[in-house]
Amino acid sequence: MGRWTRREDERLLTGRGRYVADMAVPGCLDAVFVRSDVAHGVLRTVDCSAARRVAGVAEVWSATDLSELPACRQAAADLQDLPPVPHTLLARLSTEEAVVGREWPVLVKDRVRYPGEAVAVVVGEDRYRAEDGAAEVTFEIEALPAVVKPAAAAEDSVRLFEGLSNVAFQGVAGEPMEESVWQGAAAVVEARYRQQLLMPTPMECRTILAVPEGDRLTVWCGHQMPHRLRRELATLLGWSLDRIRVVVPDTGGAFGSKSAAFPEFVAVVFLALTLRRPVRWIEDRLESMLTATRGRGQDQRVRLAADADGHLLAYELTIDADVGAYPHLGVGLPMQTAWMAPGPYRTPRVHATVRSVLTNTMVTYPYRGAGRPEATIALERSMDALARRLRIDPVELRRRNFIPPESFPYRTPTGREYDSGDYAAALDLALETLGYADWRAEQARRRGDSGALPLGIGLSCYVERSGGEPGGLHEFAAVEAHEDGTVIARCGAAPSGQGHETTFPALVAKTLGVDEARVRLVEGDTDELPEGLGSFASRSAQVAGAALQHACGLLIDEARGCAARLWGVPVAEVAWSDGAVSPASGGSAMGLAELVKVTGPLRVDDRFESGMGFPFGAHAAVVEVDPELGTVQVLRVVAVDDCGVVLNPGVVAGQAFGSAVQGIGQALYEGVPFDENGVPQLANGLLDYLVPTATEIPPITVKDTCTPSPSTPLGAKGAGESGCIGTPAAIVNAVADALQLADADLLQMPLTPDVVWRAARAPKLRESA
Amino acid sequence: MKITLTVNGRAYPLDVEPRRILADVLREDCRLTGTHLGCEHGVCGACTVLVDGEAVRSCLMLAVQCDGSSVRTVEGLAGPDGEPHPLQRAFSAEHALQCGFCTPGFLMVAAGALEADPTIGDDPERVHGLVESNICRCTGYEPIRRAIMRAAR
Repeated sequence: MGRWTRREDERLLTGRGRYVADMAVPGCLDAVFVRSDVAHGVLRTVDCSAARRVAGVAEVWSATDLSELPACRQAAADLQDLPPVPHTLLARLSTEEAVVGREWPVLVKDRVRYPGEAVAVVVGEDRYRAEDGAAEVTFEIEALPAVVKPAAAAEDSVRLFEGLSNVAFQGVAGEPMEESVWQGAAAVVEARYRQQLLMPTPMECRTILAVPEGDRLTVWCGHQMPHRLRRELATLLGWSLDRIRVVVPDTGGAFGSKSAAFPEFVAVVFLALTLRRPVRWIEDRLESMLTATRGRGQDQRVRLAADADGHLLAYELTIDADVGAYPHLGVGLPMQTAWMAPGPYRTPRVHATVRSVLTNTMVTYPYRGAGRPEATIALERSMDALARRLRIDPVELRRRNFIPPESFPYRTPTGREYDSGDYAAALDLALETLGYADWRAEQARRRGDSGALPLGIGLSCYVERSGGEPGGLHEFAAVEAHEDGTVIARCGAAPSGQGHETTFPALVAKTLGVDEARVRLVEGDTDELPEGLGSFASRSAQVAGAALQHACGLLIDEARGCAARLWGVPVAEVAWSDGAVSPASGGSAMGLAELVKVTGPLRVDDRFESGMGFPFGAHAAVVEVDPELGTVQVLRVVAVDDCGVVLNPGVVAGQAFGSAVQGIGQALYEGVPFDENGVPQLANGLLDYLVPTATEIPPITVKDTCTPSPSTPLGAKGAGESGCIGTPAAIVNAVADALQLADADLLQMPLTPDVVWRAARAPKLRESA
Repeated sequence: MKITLTVNGRAYPLDVEPRRILADVLREDCRLTGTHLGCEHGVCGACTVLVDGEAVRSCLMLAVQCDGSSVRTVEGLAGPDGEPHPLQRAFSAEHALQCGFCTPGFLMVAAGALEADPTIGDDPERVHGLVESNICRCTGYEPIRRAIMRAAR
């Protein structure tokens, strides 16, 4: 290593990284999907005959063609109909009730429900030939009215599934409250917020390569949960788990969007088995604009009540969630918002309701933050509105309401049990880093200077949840000592840029007291570890890290036991330090490698369960607004995050920074506009969907406080999602502060020049009111 | 169509369809997969390579246009003795990559600019301009800017 900061860096910087599209597999075919250009309609005909005659095309399938094909030789499933797309029960993201009667076919059978839904798949000798074939597939769709807004869809005047409501899920957190709560309050803020649909936009789109080998299938996939993918594919095929190997090679970002089995994956696997050839699908950017999962997508109504001193009395959050055309992946995801509705405040009464509505859009699924940004933005925008109403400084209002450090573990009215926190400390550090008083002075100066552009300061205090939900808070880990002195660590995580290969071996080396260079990490391969969960919910350090630390402890116990038997002494008389056993009574130490040589292989495998973690922080932004142009210039962002014990400060700070930039994207630039027919207006790809470039990056300072989690001995909480959660509301609040708006509902993200220009013309808060 | 690409100093005699883009030919015909495709329409810059010293989006150029040209990819950045390019070291030192998918494009944009004008680090605005030309979704760009400044010192 030496010259490389991370172990991953050498190969990724020299062109020797290996992503799925880089794999050279002889005879591999490329799959291309023929996609609907309408949002909603009845598929009348699909004609693949011309496509089949195209040179280099190996196979073409539409749903209706499948009945004419021979049954798949290797699959238990009858190929006369591809199995439907599986649904996600993990973390209650979907439910059996929601999917009953709402099959998600891999290829459209009769009804198109979102733009880009695949009506046929073409496989060719290479991508060019497959696209040649795709161009020859003709189809007719009789368009139906499309619904893309949840409130409209919930009326059921246009139904996505005949005989079933578009409302596919309803949920509640906290207890309802009587009207007297609101009537008796000194101030009640009411507002509506749109949490727009976002595209996660990892730089590598989705990828899968399926390689049949004898009676087994190897699947290479850019994926966050290889064991889940193996399980889902095995179920679809009716195979035992051991016949499928899923390998995750280098993965070009995921941000939550690569943890499911998608329709295209099912098609590719069945094509590979039917044709007995390797088949891959490398999604391109333009098709991802229509068919990659989206994040967020909530229309919220809030009521927040306080007494005259600014003590919060009650908070009500009503969510209409846009979950897309099928409830399979994220129908229950908005519950993450409901459960986290109370934020960092000790509001005695909180009631949050969710109505998840099917719309004619691609499916909503976790995107970095996954429900917590929506909770934080709603609450923190409301806190600033309340501060304006009560004429209390927004800092002071927050301080008066924070859950104090001595109150942990703290059970919220929505049923979350926060593990630990010091919210005021994070806010204090953010204010100090920002120079809050100085910016307020500058703001006052500008308000007295008619020629100066208005300046605004926005705060956002958040608490989030990491690790996963009950039933998914565990991870599997194994540690193995070899005769040559190497230690192999295995865990069920699967990284997509988080630097596991560097961070985890360092943790193992430190725990065992061995040389870091001797430790190697193996992950992302289901043949290497019998079970595993993966990398999602910011759980890598918190859960997989703690699992590795736990496994190291077991390995030390085993080593001491081996030494005790070898030396004929009780285990209590074998000491462990610096990677070696030694007689407690004194005598020479024996290193792990030497011990293994004498007593045989040493490997421990175990399952470790963490509690939930509740990372928190305080973000602050300063903006300058040009009311004539509607432009927002972000002058400064400060992000203070607390993710408990940090394993690798450089990696965590890097993720916090990048995450804050994604948060800026949500606040100012990113969104999915639809035309009147419900088709996303993203035909120019990344020229239409505006992820931040370096041009848009303000000075950002990332700092941290450290409040260890009591949930594991390691004390780590989740890192990496903080910026998406904390930053957007800080920016929107700053714009609202600059414009002194009487009605902050006018500012709905993304705050494009059009939105800001219109808001700048709306009535202002009256200074004398 | 028969062409010869000189890639990282090595001649590749190839028979390619005229429609094939340079990126695909580099990746599949030359098996140099360090050049990545992030958008295939010239916006993200992940596929940037140097053609006769100029940074180009290899998704927007046909391989046949490069017949007889000298192409340099990320695989050709290190010195002949395998010594990493100063940019490669600087990117690692500054945490200028996370998932690494966009990284080859940023490296080649910066390498082309640095080799055309080794004094570019004296003008931070020009370095910033280089970083503005490509898209990264992980790092937030600032570490990439610092890395290029570091390599330009």
